[in-house]
Amino acid sequence: METEKALELAESLMKDFAISTNRPEANRVDFVIDRKNLKPAVDAILVNKHWGYLSAITALDNALWKVDETTKEKSIDPSGGSLELLYHFCQAAAVATLRVSIPYNDPKVDSICGLISSVSLYEREAAELYGIEFVGAPNTDKLLLPDNWPAGVYPMRKAFTSLEDSAKG
Amino acid sequence: MEPKTAPEKFIVPIGPQHPALKEPGHFEFTVEGEVVTNATARLGFVHRGMEKGAENRTWVQDLYLMERVCGICSHVHALAFSLGVEKLAGVQAPPRAQAIRELVSELERIHSHLLWLGVAAHEGGFDTLFMFSWRDRETVMDLLETISGNRVNYSANVLGGVKIDINEKQADAIRKGMDFLEERTQHYLKVVTEDETFLGRTRNIGVMTYEQADFLGAIGPTGRASGVKRDVRVDSPYTAYSDFPVNLVTHTHGDLEARFIVRIKELYESYRLVRELVDKMPAGELTVKVPRRIPEGEVISRVEAPRGELLYFLKSNGSDKPERVKVRTPSLCNWSSVLVTAVGHNLADMPMILAGIDPCFSCNDRVVTVNRKTDSTQMDWEDLRQYGIEYYK
Repeated sequence: METEKALELAESLMKDFAISTNRPEANRVDFVIDRKNLKPAVDAILVNKHWGYLSAITALDNALWKVDETTKEKSIDPSGGSLELLYHFCQAAAVATLRVSIPYNDPKVDSICGLISSVSLYEREAAELYGIEFVGAPNTDKLLLPDNWPAGVYPMRKAFTSLEDSAKG
Repeated sequence: MEPKTAPEKFIVPIGPQHPALKEPGHFEFTVEGEVVTNATARLGFVHRGMEKGAENRTWVQDLYLMERVCGICSHVHALAFSLGVEKLAGVQAPPRAQAIRELVSELERIHSHLLWLGVAAHEGGFDTLFMFSWRDRETVMDLLETISGNRVNYSANVLGGVKIDINEKQADAIRKGMDFLEERTQHYLKVVTEDETFLGRTRNIGVMTYEQADFLGAIGPTGRASGVKRDVRVDSPYTAYSDFPVNLVTHTHGDLEARFIVRIKELYESYRLVRELVDKMPAGELTVKVPRRIPEGEVISRVEAPRGELLYFLKSNGSDKPERVKVRTPSLCNWSSVLVTAVGHNLADMPMILAGIDPCFSCNDRVVTVNRKTDSTQMDWEDLRQYGIEYYK
């Protein structure tokens, strides 16, 4: 019952920002929001209302795959697909997720470090592994990858297969 | 007359090698005299690309990969992964399997908390407590080995259930072990709350207020020691936690002493649960069948690891390999909060404050203390620990 109430409260907090709302599981609600609205949305759900806490940021690479008719080989179609960031907020059993789609050609989103200082580690992880720039982040030093890791190579992108392949272009 | 210059920042780097704890990490503390004014972390020295690796392996292979994310709480990783995959596949492990999963989780918590007690005592200069708690920890390690055959990666889970069963002989050994550990734990609780020298290192040190802990998302015993009522076992019961519920242990002081008390009191809860589980273990099958191809979908699986909430985000594209496996370990949440609360504390308290969150981290090979003139000295972790002990003598 409390989970349902919490989810409903999250829905009412997000009603101005949500492009669409979805309930993927009984204890979860997903809000698709525009990346411009990320900061005000986080402000509304967490800073103002203390709805749970920011539990994790998941980055996704929703690459568009195409299958070659003759060879049956799968490859990435660069004309489509996008990156996505999922901000998971947890309150007891309830989980609210803000989903932000980010295009490959302009992989930028506002940093929310100004709102929650502890979020820096999560953002740096997504920045390094997926090549998403968090605009206004106070610290953009390397976090996980080695110091000699080549610039512009993002290992968690679906297009990344190995460092040798990346070096070949 | 000497020219006036702006005071330089002293940065004390700690890490990345750390002989006392498990994994490497690197911390930089900016200090003014004794007092820490800023703290930053650099992780990734054991970044193994497991999330990427998981995308290239089948769901079954990934179970074994995920069990190896952590060497202390291996079971909860495999558990969170299995529960997530089972949710995606729309199956549920049988009640006996769920009870065995909870039993292994609690035995793992006991070993992890006792391990932490030893490490934290060592950082505080109390090596007798360290030796005793690690000796006693062997009791639970032996029990885990008896039931699973392994000390570290118990490999109790399979997708759809468990592969180990508990017989009466093992149950008896577990009961005896719990009796012994409970008696020892009473002694430890007395030591950490009454020993004055030790209290000098823990009382009112590293205080995190409820507001800080709540907002920064502190979880597990670290958060609960500041009064944050967060425990996935209570909030969102998984496996058999709804049939064998756990009582929430919290404290209000938020200092290191509170973190000791919370973890030790949690040990009592674990002993009680383990006894209840072996006494009232439901009968029945151990596994259900899970399809090789997992239906398309996304799922979030949360479990309470010894250090706090462990979150898995799984995305399936309908094939026999996952599209995405995201792991958010509890230490990551607590690091952020400790980096914020480290500010304003003495440098000598840093070993204890870092150990206080029970970090599955890291760190420490060399500390460079730079003074305002040109000479500098180097300390390794042992020197810094000793420095902490001397400072408080």
